[in-house]
Amino acid sequence: MRLNSRNDYVKEAMSQFIDLENREVSVAALHDQELYELELERIFAKAWLMIGHETEIPNVGDYVVRLMGEDQVIVARAADGQVHVSLNVCPHRAMHVCLSDSGNARVQKCIYHGWAFRPDGSFIGAPIEREQMHGNIRTKEQLGLKKARVQLYGGLVFATWNHDGPSLDEWFGDMKFYYDMLFCRTDKGLEVLGPPQRLTIDANWKTAGEQSACDGFHTLTLHGSVIDIGAMGGETDTEHESAPAMYGINLSGNGHSLRCIAADTSWALAHGKGELTPEERLEAFPPPGITPELLPEVKRNMSAEQLHVLAKAPPVVGGMFPNMNILFIYSPLRDGTLGSALVLHSIMPKGPNHFEWTTYYFAEKGTPEHVKVMMRAAATLGTGTSGIIEQDDSDTWPHMTESAKGVIGRTETMKYQAILGENRPADWPDKAKVYEGFGKDDAQWEWWLAYHKLMTAEA
Amino acid sequence: MSVTVATVTYTREDQRRGEVPYGSPVYNSIMGFLIREARLLDHRDIKAWGELLAEDLEYKAPVRITRRVQKFSEEFGTMGHFDDDYNSMMLRITRLITTTNAWSEDPASRVRRFISNVTVWETDVPDEYEVSSYLFLTRNRAEAKDYKQLSAERNDRLRMTKDGFKIARRSIMLDQVVLGMPNFAIFL
Repeated sequence: MRLNSRNDYVKEAMSQFIDLENREVSVAALHDQELYELELERIFAKAWLMIGHETEIPNVGDYVVRLMGEDQVIVARAADGQVHVSLNVCPHRAMHVCLSDSGNARVQKCIYHGWAFRPDGSFIGAPIEREQMHGNIRTKEQLGLKKARVQLYGGLVFATWNHDGPSLDEWFGDMKFYYDMLFCRTDKGLEVLGPPQRLTIDANWKTAGEQSACDGFHTLTLHGSVIDIGAMGGETDTEHESAPAMYGINLSGNGHSLRCIAADTSWALAHGKGELTPEERLEAFPPPGITPELLPEVKRNMSAEQLHVLAKAPPVVGGMFPNMNILFIYSPLRDGTLGSALVLHSIMPKGPNHFEWTTYYFAEKGTPEHVKVMMRAAATLGTGTSGIIEQDDSDTWPHMTESAKGVIGRTETMKYQAILGENRPADWPDKAKVYEGFGKDDAQWEWWLAYHKLMTAEA
Repeated sequence: MSVTVATVTYTREDQRRGEVPYGSPVYNSIMGFLIREARLLDHRDIKAWGELLAEDLEYKAPVRITRRVQKFSEEFGTMGHFDDDYNSMMLRITRLITTTNAWSEDPASRVRRFISNVTVWETDVPDEYEVSSYLFLTRNRAEAKDYKQLSAERNDRLRMTKDGFKIARRSIMLDQVVLGMPNFAIFL
């Protein structure tokens, strides 16, 4: 077992890769094979990872196959109605037990020698039971698929191999208060709008991971085309002045992050509504994903503090450490109204130079069907494979990774030195680290600190 | 909303009537249209390509899912890599040709679209045809020595108008579950 056997090495490596004093990260960290192997062990085998949503597998026996790091897992609903996550590796000879992406099966039977497993991962038996082809050294209880620890949150399936680590609540910390405003705000909750998009980006996973932690600044330039065509507010020449969607409140805790932005500062359609009280604002601009019919549910399910946040500046983009990107954004719909797109991405590493970018679209279950169809289209237009916003990101991350291959390039550093500092407004909840103003590098640096902490944790 | 599959919605096999013979005038004019269309896109005359789109356009590229062979015809999901109508396609085109910040295609990819295996069917609507074509696409960017490749079957609804054929529907049935290229900043 090499797992966790290199505490000294990793501490030395981290001191070389991350300059805590000057808030710089070595570009070499985007290409280093040895570091990557450590990340698989220390990040992806330890963190809580989001790998799907329970509405993908509503019935007993339903399953989807997903990635946790480079490990395939079967996410299945078992006879007990619970969601189980099991390693898709046969304990017999390491064959993948399940060969399709999704389906329904009461029994997962390995095609190699026929070892069979229930949706909860437990071992049923091998063919020709009387010959006891699983031997008599290990009991059947010991021969199940390796099971991950599972926790559902707002229907999202989180799993980890860290059976003794923090609970998901502890993992989220103070950020749960804010995540609840996205994932746990209506009576029926969210549902997926279909199986996810999947694509490969030739870049190190951390390029997308750290950007997810509130890199608002790149919007002005990399996503300048979206401002140019008038979808976002502001003038086309505002690159350095009244920048749309740049002023707001960034939040950070445990490496997780969210950007809270008032609707009327970001989207053209929301401009010109004049000054509104928080209460009027909540009615005029329900948070992204909330139709007017659903607003009473939100008011019932959220605390007064949470409603205040939703009215003042709802969380709209951000991430979950280590590998999730969240966009719950306002977006124009086909019918000309200001609707929204609810998007989650997971970033799963495929070697130091590649990752899989998986994109899920959501709507509240209580959304009218025709609105769901428009939300799905709006999400596809803005984000994911063909998204007019995100296609520019997918073009940038490979360049950064390529830079790390140069023997000189890798001596450069990525800098997180634009500091706003914690400055919580008096009327904002005392939860997580709060940065109000022009979005700067604070939350992204916190992402790296969380990375550093997990990488150097004593095993 | 159903999470699962909707193949018929994409292929519209139910709308196919008599097959138009290979080499007939209608077949040849459609083949010529598909070649011209590919040429416009390959040469980045995106504005002219946009003029080939009908205003009731449906343009989709559903995600693909690996399933057991018994479900081979149901490998396409309700979500897509494209999920567009005429207005959203015009927005994409406007972004690409009028802004100077559309970085995913600046510098531009060098793309070749090879169109083959064209089958044409008549439909219940005069001057409208269901058309299936194979697309093989190579995409090269910057100094990459290799190509991003893509193969797909396209199921189109083409409508003859006084201005020539217009694309009223395109369903792009991809052969990849996990795309090898990082985006669709290009049209298929």
